[in-house]
Amino acid sequence: MTTISNEQDAMAASPALPAARMSRMSKIGLVVLAITVAIPPFVVTPLELTKLSRLVVLVLAVLGVNLLTGYTGLISLGHGVFVGVGAFAMANLIDQGMSLFLAGFLATLFTGAVGLVLGLPALRVRGLYLALVTFGTALAFPPLLRRLGTWTGGVTGRTVDNDAFVPPSLLGLDDDVHIWRYGVCLAVVALWFVIIRNLVNSRMGRALRTVRDNEAAAATFGISVRYAKAGALAISAAMTGTAGVLQSLLNPYVSHADFDSFLSLRLYAAAVIGGLGTLAGVIFGVLALILIPTINGAFELLDSDAIVFGAGLIIMTFIAPTGIAGLFKGRDRGKSESP
Amino acid sequence: MELLVQRCFDGMFTGAIYASLALAIVMIYRSTGLLNFAQGEMGLMGGYVTLTLLSPTGAAGIGIPIAGTAFASRWIPLHPWPAWAAIVGAVAFGALLGAVVERFIMRPLTGRSTLSQVNVTIGLLILINGIVFQIWGSFSRKVKSPFPNEAADYVGILGARLRYTTVGVWATLIVIIVLLTLLIQKTKTGLAFRAITSNREGAALVGVPVNRTLTIGWAIASAIGALAASLVGGAITLSPVLMLNLLIYALAAATIGGLDSPRGAIAGGLIIGLTQSLSPPYLGIPTELTLLPPLAAMVLALAVRPHGLFGTVPVNRV
Repeated sequence: MTTISNEQDAMAASPALPAARMSRMSKIGLVVLAITVAIPPFVVTPLELTKLSRLVVLVLAVLGVNLLTGYTGLISLGHGVFVGVGAFAMANLIDQGMSLFLAGFLATLFTGAVGLVLGLPALRVRGLYLALVTFGTALAFPPLLRRLGTWTGGVTGRTVDNDAFVPPSLLGLDDDVHIWRYGVCLAVVALWFVIIRNLVNSRMGRALRTVRDNEAAAATFGISVRYAKAGALAISAAMTGTAGVLQSLLNPYVSHADFDSFLSLRLYAAAVIGGLGTLAGVIFGVLALILIPTINGAFELLDSDAIVFGAGLIIMTFIAPTGIAGLFKGRDRGKSESP
Repeated sequence: MELLVQRCFDGMFTGAIYASLALAIVMIYRSTGLLNFAQGEMGLMGGYVTLTLLSPTGAAGIGIPIAGTAFASRWIPLHPWPAWAAIVGAVAFGALLGAVVERFIMRPLTGRSTLSQVNVTIGLLILINGIVFQIWGSFSRKVKSPFPNEAADYVGILGARLRYTTVGVWATLIVIIVLLTLLIQKTKTGLAFRAITSNREGAALVGVPVNRTLTIGWAIASAIGALAASLVGGAITLSPVLMLNLLIYALAAATIGGLDSPRGAIAGGLIIGLTQSLSPPYLGIPTELTLLPPLAAMVLALAVRPHGLFGTVPVNRV
């Protein structure tokens, strides 16, 4: 039986011990990124900025997919479910009268636990079973949400009490709630990014990559393959849950229709198109996630942008297995990383 | 009693459909070690080809003409075709699609990691679904069944109705299994197929035409998928999301039976079909949540018997 991890491929070309310091390209990229995210509050309307914020938080979902697939070699086709679990958990925790911070924290933990419960049976076996279970869950999720009306509002969906999601009065931003919210989203995303960056450069990150590249070797080194996989899944689900938490606060109306199986497929496609196994890939993946529907919508090209995501996934696997991020990396080091 | 028998008949119908799709998945898995996530969508396209070949006579529906009908009636002789001929046409189309996908998409990826190959099948899933949506729209449409499917076309057994379509679908499935067994056991291609399954490099070394055999394997698997979609479209309606659910049932069936076992695919399909039809009345699971019991069965199977009822337990070489 083949596993998804024990073969040589471009993915394995990422160094076993990545330097903690950043390359020149990464530094330039970070500066460009910082400038880019600082522009929107000054140029777009409040409505557009809120829409943009909702896309920015998807960075967390794509990052979650990337941690799981890119760093650990596990496939999840159900990350849309975790966004949904986070969103609905948040809505219900706020109902209990919790502060936003506590509710968001608990919703994140809860989503991580859900991921763990879903994944544990599948993680007992090598191979693609996690992909099967998560994809099945993604398909069963909307009907399940329609059924659990007490918590989810059933077919119509429910509102989220986001009254408390306003700037503290001493900041004097009362007229610019959307800018503050955009800032909070960026800060949370940045926080998770730093956590994950430190994680993948730590002992655990190296353990995950070893598991990805060769499970038997990982076990020989004393890495508990099962704990490593389970840990990656829990963290991945948790951060994706945070994306849901922020989404529910930005758009205080959540319903089953927001979390169909194509959300999960899009998130996976975005992670692959951006580049698996690199943090820069996450940014490019989210750019794809934002730009493809926008361009498609603006020119009214296709009824559904699924064609672009599907074709993109296939084409990128052929011409750039390390994604858009890999293309830049290859140029930076003066060598191509294609196999 | 009546209800039980009736539910069993219903479950056997859908079970046969799941079994055939699971069989297609198992065929690819055995020869390439790859789970083809696009199996359902490749079949879906075949289902829509059936619909186009049938229309306007065979497509009962909502009055919106089916895309491609005008094209088909101009270029395809004798269009619209009778139901059975349309399905034969769709199966031929499915075989062609499978061969093209193997030759131009999967073969160039030989030697790349399984992750890359699986990613491509996921890409195909999204892409083909998008194409079907683009061409044929999101409407649900009923395909004319090739078997007698009027209200009175059933045999009464213990007060329950065994519909001719159920009998027909099972007969079709049995014919497929017999043909596949004959192909694999009695022909040279089948011998090559078995050789590749047991040792791909070794087979290539002794002169087995690996590429050609794999193309045939993909063509057959995809043809079975097209047949499954065409048949299920006669009972349920055909819509772009149909095969996503069907894929999960088929994958669950294959997992329960053992991913490398054709016998397991049939048994698993039957188990999933029966679980799905018996759980609403006897376990009180609402009908819109019928996706849950198969999913639970799959998770349970993974927990108790990870390699399936008939699957081989792999030996990991270090």
